[in-house]
Amino acid sequence: MMRFTKFLKVEASFVIARHTLISDETKANVEPVVFLNPEFAKKSGIKENDVVEIEREGKTVKLRVKYLEEAPEDGGLIPNGVFANYISDLNKFKKFKAQIQVAEGDPTSLEEILAKFKS
Amino acid sequence: MICPVCSCLCDDIEIVDGKIMNACKRGCEFFSKYEENRSKPLVEGREVNIDEAIDAAVNLLKQSKSVAIYGLDTTVVEAQKKAIELAEKLEAYIDDNSSFCLGEFVEAVLKEEVPTTTLEEVRDNAYVMFYWGSNPHYSIPRHMSRYTYYPRGRKRPRGYEEDRFLVVVDVRRSETATLAKKNARFILVEDDLELIDSFFKVLEGKAYKYSSDAAIILREMKKSDFNVVFGGLGLKYGLKDLKPFFDLVNKLNEVAPLYFIPAGFHGNMRGFNETLFENVGVVNRFSFKEQNSKEEFAFTELLKREKIDTALIVGTDPVSSLPFEVSLKLRKIKTIVVDPRNSLTARIANVVIPSAFSGLETSGTMVRSDGVRFKLEAIEEREINDVSILDRLVGEL
Repeated sequence: MMRFTKFLKVEASFVIARHTLISDETKANVEPVVFLNPEFAKKSGIKENDVVEIEREGKTVKLRVKYLEEAPEDGGLIPNGVFANYISDLNKFKKFKAQIQVAEGDPTSLEEILAKFKS
Repeated sequence: MICPVCSCLCDDIEIVDGKIMNACKRGCEFFSKYEENRSKPLVEGREVNIDEAIDAAVNLLKQSKSVAIYGLDTTVVEAQKKAIELAEKLEAYIDDNSSFCLGEFVEAVLKEEVPTTTLEEVRDNAYVMFYWGSNPHYSIPRHMSRYTYYPRGRKRPRGYEEDRFLVVVDVRRSETATLAKKNARFILVEDDLELIDSFFKVLEGKAYKYSSDAAIILREMKKSDFNVVFGGLGLKYGLKDLKPFFDLVNKLNEVAPLYFIPAGFHGNMRGFNETLFENVGVVNRFSFKEQNSKEEFAFTELLKREKIDTALIVGTDPVSSLPFEVSLKLRKIKTIVVDPRNSLTARIANVVIPSAFSGLETSGTMVRSDGVRFKLEAIEEREINDVSILDRLVGEL
């Protein structure tokens, strides 16, 4: 069933930081995750384990939502790595604002991003 | 043994009957999974033997007009020296992650622009300790428990309960910030410069945005002859220009002794910074062709400006760690990856040379975040490692 919140796109602040709960020292795989502040997520109609689309300056990445009390009050934390860097730039490398909305389908995969290097 | 994962270089790791003792979560993952996802020798995606991979790298480097050697923060000083020798021979650019990480902090320390100290001195003596733009809880997980906030020190026998004053400055209430309760301040900043200005204003007897916090911290600093500030990546990116921060550290030293140590980076980033500094007087982004260091010689800028045709990438993963708009430029050049892991960059490289994990499979020297040197002893010495690979490249070019 389609959710009403699917149509809500809101602006949020994102911090890029290390988070060892999803770190992968083996570099084999990286979980496509965003940690949202629970209060912000609830206000925005986003539930834990939802897939959200985060859009910044024409680039979008789809990530699985986890709640984190220590995330910024007006947004979330994206762990260091390829998914955060897909929408960051060197001027806004550790903190930026972006649009977020609930999305359908699976999170972005590593293979999707690597394919862009090979195309 | 010594854990090479982060700049703490914890030297009390033990592996007993397969159990990893004393390591943090990052260290545990490294020691328990180092045999997973290993790279293989590849040339244009085709598996070859190690000699063929090295020969292919030599040929690529010989054909190149403009080479950058990049990474090197996870390898030992002995390999970093070889890489510098190779860069000189090729008249190449050489850079590491510190050019977009904490290199400017390390350079200020090496140039003695700010007073610094060691983590052992911090443990024994420090009262006020700032974590500014750093969340050690995840980035350098044993920093606070081994060296700073929690241990009981020679002059701080009552530890964090009474003998430490913690200051956490961040753009969010991080895990480290949640510790700032008794004998502590957490300052949530939108703009780090406003907090710096607040300290200066308070010293002039004026009020400003964070003057209440600044006044309390200054009062606490005056109680001690040893205070310390750890500056992290959040501080670096919170300020466009780090000079006001260094000015503040020096100004606060007129109030009470305050030392500075960069907080949190790759295991041997400081080793690279010191090794290059000893050779050419700068810590990163150096051109041996121009005998100079400039902002545009940073690896990120070389890629953006399309100034190189080949990159030799040692022990780092720019596809993962650099913004996509920058790393995508790797498509336009030839890439040689020397790495024990099948990293994302290895998966798109023209040549992959599998190496050994420094400190675990090859012995050598690393430098902790405060400049203290450690000799790492491998548990199994591998013949093919960063030093031997770079040595062969130097010999054949």
